[in-house]
Amino acid sequence: MKMRLILTMTSCALVFGLSACSSKSVEKPHEAVEPPQKSSSVDDELASFAEEMEVQEIYDPLSGYNRVMTNFNDTAYEYVLKPVATGYKNVLHIEIRNSIGNFFENIHFPVRFANTLLQGKLSYATEETGRFVINTTVGVFGLFDPAKSYFELQAHDEDFGQTLGFYGVGNGPHIVLPLLGPSNLRDALSLYPDSLLSVLDYDERSYWTLTDTPAEYIGAKAVEKTNAISLYMDKYDKIKADAVDLYPYLRDMYEQRRKKQIEE
Amino acid sequence: MKYIYKVVLALSAVFFFAQSLAADEQTVLKKHFLTKIDEVICIVESKKLTRDQRNGDIVKALTPMFDFELMAKLSLGNRWKDLSDAEKEKFVALYVERMKQSYSSKIDAYKDEKVEIKKAEQTKEDRITLVTDLVSKTQKLEIAYKFHKPKTPIASKDSWLIYDVEILGVSILKTDIAQFKEFLNTKSIAELIDVLIKQS
Repeated sequence: MKMRLILTMTSCALVFGLSACSSKSVEKPHEAVEPPQKSSSVDDELASFAEEMEVQEIYDPLSGYNRVMTNFNDTAYEYVLKPVATGYKNVLHIEIRNSIGNFFENIHFPVRFANTLLQGKLSYATEETGRFVINTTVGVFGLFDPAKSYFELQAHDEDFGQTLGFYGVGNGPHIVLPLLGPSNLRDALSLYPDSLLSVLDYDERSYWTLTDTPAEYIGAKAVEKTNAISLYMDKYDKIKADAVDLYPYLRDMYEQRRKKQIEE
Repeated sequence: MKYIYKVVLALSAVFFFAQSLAADEQTVLKKHFLTKIDEVICIVESKKLTRDQRNGDIVKALTPMFDFELMAKLSLGNRWKDLSDAEKEKFVALYVERMKQSYSSKIDAYKDEKVEIKKAEQTKEDRITLVTDLVSKTQKLEIAYKFHKPKTPIASKDSWLIYDVEILGVSILKTDIAQFKEFLNTKSIAELIDVLIKQS
């Protein structure tokens, strides 16, 4: 346990330290985005959007590795994950898959709760607690979501990466993780502290966990992920259809999404 | 005394009128947007049409709302002005087609979902953002539509036109700007046009 604490603390320190240097390197020279000097009306119109459409340069020193990993993930998705999830989808009705998704969402309550508290978002913490209590009881172990449908309690997807971002920690370099997909240094290291609060784990814990052995853990994770893919794969395929170059496309979507999540 | 009343009344009327004018533009836009969305949902739900007919009708209904041409120009960022006139024309045509297909296929997947306007923000005189929720049984998706009002109205288009859509904070236009920029770092405009032709 002590070992874990030390690990968590070092990873935090590392993120904080890195964020300081990454924010510097992300800064862009302002001269580069001066509006064009021609004065035709089309140029004027485009110039009026220049500031808004200035895309924030993403710090990406690992782009070579990231591209390779994106290709690997995409191949794994197309040839393994998607066929498996399609088989799974054909066997299980959408309502059942939604319920399985709800169940996993519900048991990850401690992660969301802790992170709402760490960010001082008390109303979100209350709402999350309400959701957990209602969905675990009335919602039969979280299989259903009466908290949303009857009590209008919304889920707040908070994690440690967002908590760090909330306190001003920068993204650090963008990193594509094997199978998990786009991430950045801050968010990747944050997976560890979050996993300490997850009830899906095989380590000796002082509290109840859903899985006890590595085999059980892998089994539960596989069901969780396959179920999730079966629910969003149509959307992912449609998003992918618009990509001219998959890696920067997914990278930018990820970083824009995280920025929005941190602001919320 | 009466005179003062009149002046105050007149002044407040002017003030009120000015206020309501600004608010009015947003209300009109909101109403128009919702009517259009209803129209699109009707098309999506009409079972008589084939898939291709449906997509065609959706595109027809949406086209006057979007400034696809502006999006095409913006998507290339600073590189736009480097294009020759022929390339400009070709690129815009391809990009517009790509957007139309992308939207119609995404909208066609909607089932039993409804659109609610959460708020309208007017950042500039000629910019309004409508923040909406796409509500389905299982989830809520925040989609922001960004409108601009061209100085000279475009024939066969609405007066307020969508130039960007943000889904859960991800801007479609910005994502395109980023991927095109990266593509053009190592490859040419002609190659980009080739990829777009292959995709369409």
